[in-house]
Formats: sequence, C-alpha cells, structure tokens
Amino acid sequence: MDSPWDDDPQATYAREADWAKISNEFTNSGYREGIVAGKESALQEGFDSGFADVGVPLGRELGLLRGTVSAILSLLSSQPPADIPFTAIDEARDIATSLGNIRFTDIAPRDVEAEQHAREHMDSDDPALDGSEELVEKRKMEGLEDMLEKLTAGAGGISAQGRPTKEDVVRLKERLGALSRDLGLFIQTVG
Amino acid sequence: MADDFDLEALVHLEQTFYDSGHADGFAHGRIHGLIEGRALGREKGFEMWEELGFYEGFALTWQAIYTQQGRDDQRAMHHIKHLLELISQFPRINPSAAQAESSSNEELDISKLLRQIRSRYKALCASLGVRPTLRAAQVAEAGDEEGSGPGPSASRQVWKLEEDAKRPTMQGLSF
Repeated sequence: MDSPWDDDPQATYAREADWAKISNEFTNSGYREGIVAGKESALQEGFDSGFADVGVPLGRELGLLRGTVSAILSLLSSQPPADIPFTAIDEARDIATSLGNIRFTDIAPRDVEAEQHAREHMDSDDPALDGSEELVEKRKMEGLEDMLEKLTAGAGGISAQGRPTKEDVVRLKERLGALSRDLGLFIQTVG
Repeated sequence: MADDFDLEALVHLEQTFYDSGHADGFAHGRIHGLIEGRALGREKGFEMWEELGFYEGFALTWQAIYTQQGRDDQRAMHHIKHLLELISQFPRINPSAAQAESSSNEELDISKLLRQIRSRYKALCASLGVRPTLRAAQVAEAGDEEGSGPGPSASRQVWKLEEDAKRPTMQGLSF
C-alpha cells in the first residue's frame, strides 16, 4: 500500500503540469519578444502615414489661416484708423483669437483602428494575454488613457463645453475669406 | 540513441512553442507600432506644417496686399518670392520615406531649410515694418547663426522616430 510505486498517477499528473508549464513559458516568452519586434517593425511606417496623411495637411491648413489673419491684422493696424472700417479690425481680431484657441486634438480625426484595438483589449479573453500580469496592468493603463483622451478631446482646458471643432475651422475660413474680399484682397489659394 | 532523439524532439517542441508565441506577438506588436507611430507622426507633421503654413499664409496675403495697392516695394516682394519658394521645397511627407522611394532625392537638410525659412520670414517682417510672430523670435538665435556657418544641428536630416518615441512625455500607447 505504502509502496513508493503507488504514486504513479500523481507522477503523471505532475509531468503533465510541467508540460503545460513549459509550453506556456515558451509561448509566452515568444509572444513577449514578438510583440517588441513587431512594434519596432511598424513604428516608422505608422509615423510616416500619420505625418503625411493627417498631421501635415491639418497643420498646413490651420497655419495658412493663422498666417493670413496675422497679415491682415498687421495691415489694418498699420493704417490710420480713419481709413479702415472699424468692424474689419474687430472681425480680424476675433478670427485671430478663435484660430489661436484651436488645438490639434480639437480637429484631428479619430484613429478608428486605435480605438477599435483598445476595445478589443477591453473585452478580449485571449489566454496568452490574460496570463501576463504586466499586460493586464498595461491594459488598465490603456483604458485610463482612452478616458483621458476622451476628456481632453471633448472638454480639455479652461472651458468645459466650448472646445472648437472642425466645423468651427470651416466657419472661420469662410469668415476670413469674406473679410479678405471686403478688403479687396485676392489671396492666391494653395493646393 | 533513444535518449538523443527525445532531447531533440523536446528542444524542437520548445522552439515551436516559442515560434508560435512569437508570430502572435509580432502581429499584435505591429498593430501597436502602427498606432503609436501614427500618433507621433500626426503630432510632428502638424507641429511642423502649422508653423510653415503660417509663414506661407502670411507671405501670400502680403503678396495680395501689395498687388491690390499697386505698391512697388522690390525688397518685400523679393522676400515674399523667396520665402514661398523655400516653403515649397519643404517635404510634406517624412523624408525617410521619400528617400527610400527615390534615392535621387539626396541630402535634404531639413533643419537648414527651416532656419532659412524662419530668417526669410523675419527679413520679410523687417521690410514690412511688422513685428514677427513670437515663435519665430524664440528661434532667433538659431536663425541668426545661419550666416556664420553650419549650426550644431545641421547634421540632422530626417525625423528620427526613435528620438520622439523615447521622449518620456509621450503617453505610451503600450501593449
């Protein structure tokens, strides 16, 4: 009964447990190293696309508007007050102030893929992911970041409801166009 | 012999586990790399071209003002022309990608071009009697060095992603 050979089933169980442990260990370490390598392989590609497709066109458009209104303001304030309609200066100042308030996060399009992926993290039951405490921790951070991002995108800063939007930029552009026409300026548009 | 075989099979199996984990991780990592890279690239492209667009809009508007008023100021028009010319040379895609595509596009010195643009803008402001915008004034020292030879940053040609990625302030989009 107490023979040492009797614990055979126990030993088999232990071996299986070891086996699962080994399999997990190697799969997980492969996963961890793969994630780093995969990320590094794609960073530059992502950077280049974000730069050319979103950052440059949005920045240039806003910059053009700001430069235009800056030139108009400097023109108006260099002229004797009697020569210019009072409303023109007010309008130019107002447009300049509004343009100055706009941040990148106000007008940037959503990164749908990023949002989608963050959601997948939230409700994924990928065992390889759940196994790692580190990943769980980081997923929590991502959730926090999403919340923060929503806060900064929606409200952010001084006024709680008044963050400008893409539509505001379009309106400001129209107002600036009207103002230039009133002043008799034909500003070459760029493509 | 039998022992040898078992050991090899075990090593091979470990490699198989590792490889399948690695493939899954790599695919996941790529998604994160693309997302994080995009976030960085958007910011950087916006920052650069918001400034350049400002100079561009400023120059185009003064061009229109001079045309409308029939003013004949050779100096200011000269600055405007050169400023617009310099801005048109500035890349709208990250030069690292451009250089990979066409190797003929060699030695594009971004920081030098940017310095030239800023000092041309300031020269235009001076000839117009207009105070330059604050951000151009802040980089005044860099711009003024231009005549005295290449600055210390002249060797920096493209936006190395690594520099930005390592910035501790970037909220990490991590996995």
